[in-house]
Amino acid sequence: MHIMEGFLPVKHAIGWSVAAAPFVIYGLYTINKRIKEKPEQRMLLGVAAAFTFVLSALKMPSVTGSCSHPTGTGLGAILFGPAAMAPIGAVVLLFQAILLAHGGLTTLGANVISMAVVGPFAAAAIFRAAKAVKVPFAFSIFLAASCADLLTYITTSAQLAFAFPDPAGGFAASFTKFASVFALTQIPLAISEGLLTVVVINALVRFNSPELQEMKVIAVQEVQA
Amino acid sequence: MLTEQSAYTNRWRQISPVAKGLVSLFGMVAAFAAGSPRAALLVAIILSLATVLGAGIPPARYLRVATPALFFLLASCLSLLVSLEFNHISTFGVSLHLSESELPRITQVCCRSLACLTALLFLALTTPLTDIISLMRRCKLPETLLDLMTLSYRTLFVLSEAVHETATAQSARLGYATFKLSMRSLGGLVANLAVQVWQRSQALHLSASARGNDGALRFLEPDYPGSHRAILSAVICGILLVVTAVYIP
Repeated sequence: MHIMEGFLPVKHAIGWSVAAAPFVIYGLYTINKRIKEKPEQRMLLGVAAAFTFVLSALKMPSVTGSCSHPTGTGLGAILFGPAAMAPIGAVVLLFQAILLAHGGLTTLGANVISMAVVGPFAAAAIFRAAKAVKVPFAFSIFLAASCADLLTYITTSAQLAFAFPDPAGGFAASFTKFASVFALTQIPLAISEGLLTVVVINALVRFNSPELQEMKVIAVQEVQA
Repeated sequence: MLTEQSAYTNRWRQISPVAKGLVSLFGMVAAFAAGSPRAALLVAIILSLATVLGAGIPPARYLRVATPALFFLLASCLSLLVSLEFNHISTFGVSLHLSESELPRITQVCCRSLACLTALLFLALTTPLTDIISLMRRCKLPETLLDLMTLSYRTLFVLSEAVHETATAQSARLGYATFKLSMRSLGGLVANLAVQVWQRSQALHLSASARGNDGALRFLEPDYPGSHRAILSAVICGILLVVTAVYIP
């Protein structure tokens, strides 16, 4: 869910950009550290950003029959780590604004917070928590990817409600309104994306386990299991 | 991508990206500074006319690029227009109604968003992304972020071609015939692509190392003749735009 260019009031646009900056800077710091340890990863995250961009342009079969696009935040967080996803997401959102006129420059900060910070961190946290309580591997992937999607859209709804509180019901009414309007498209999308991410990770585990282990996505025993 | 084609072939390709970036920036400032919906609409009209007539972007293409964003804007504004009220005497305890008192504010938001969109399109349709990246380098953005952009911009087209070819091959084999099949095919496609991320980045690293690259990825930036004059006129036009936006009732 992108917020349209120029849609947020000035204060909100600046505020969200300021809020997003530390995450992007911290992400860059971790990337730099990774590159220092493993110079062969220098190109990896750049190509990963292109991968995320291309992924977001794919048409996904949706449960309800309508077509939608995957966000790739869950998959990205699982494959490349949540911290690195903030700068990667920022680059992808910038490219989407400039190349596809989708999203915008003034709303970049708000979109980075919802799609490149909340989504990936939620995905990574849920993936870890699910692993800790020994949920089946495929289901933990599904949970991580679909919850990342849901949380992303809930964050966007909250951002919009915060900027445009309802004259009668205030923030709560406005939030309910945005959340229920988006739920029509976003819940089927979250389910589809969860399923898709499971299929992707399964395919990767079956055919490319060495690469996955190198990316530290999954432990060795899970691959063998 | 349509914006890419225009960015490389438009009439203002040889004008300094600093000037074009400034016009776009002033456009956005004007959109936010506009005192009335009419002023914001005027900014939108001026900027889109500048893009179509000045930079020579075919109007049909301009519309095709703008249409998805316009639909998105329409949907966003319609959702603003509807207001929810709790604890009202109705069947669900919630009632929907049009918020007429909010109409002026919503019109203002819509027109502002439209003006910002035209400012974005002005930059996107006249300036290639490589120029925008070098513009950001001048703004002293972190080197790692710029490398990320350079690399992903260059790999983007390679990966989208891979996607296109895989999807064609899959659909030729009825890979997208049913929901289950399309999930499976798409999953395979994305998994394959994810592995390519790994392999291509390794290959890139090897070839860059073989040429002695061990730091930032720097490219020669083209010279733009008469850039001082262009920047000066961009600033003047920008200020005029902002002043118009503020003082139009």
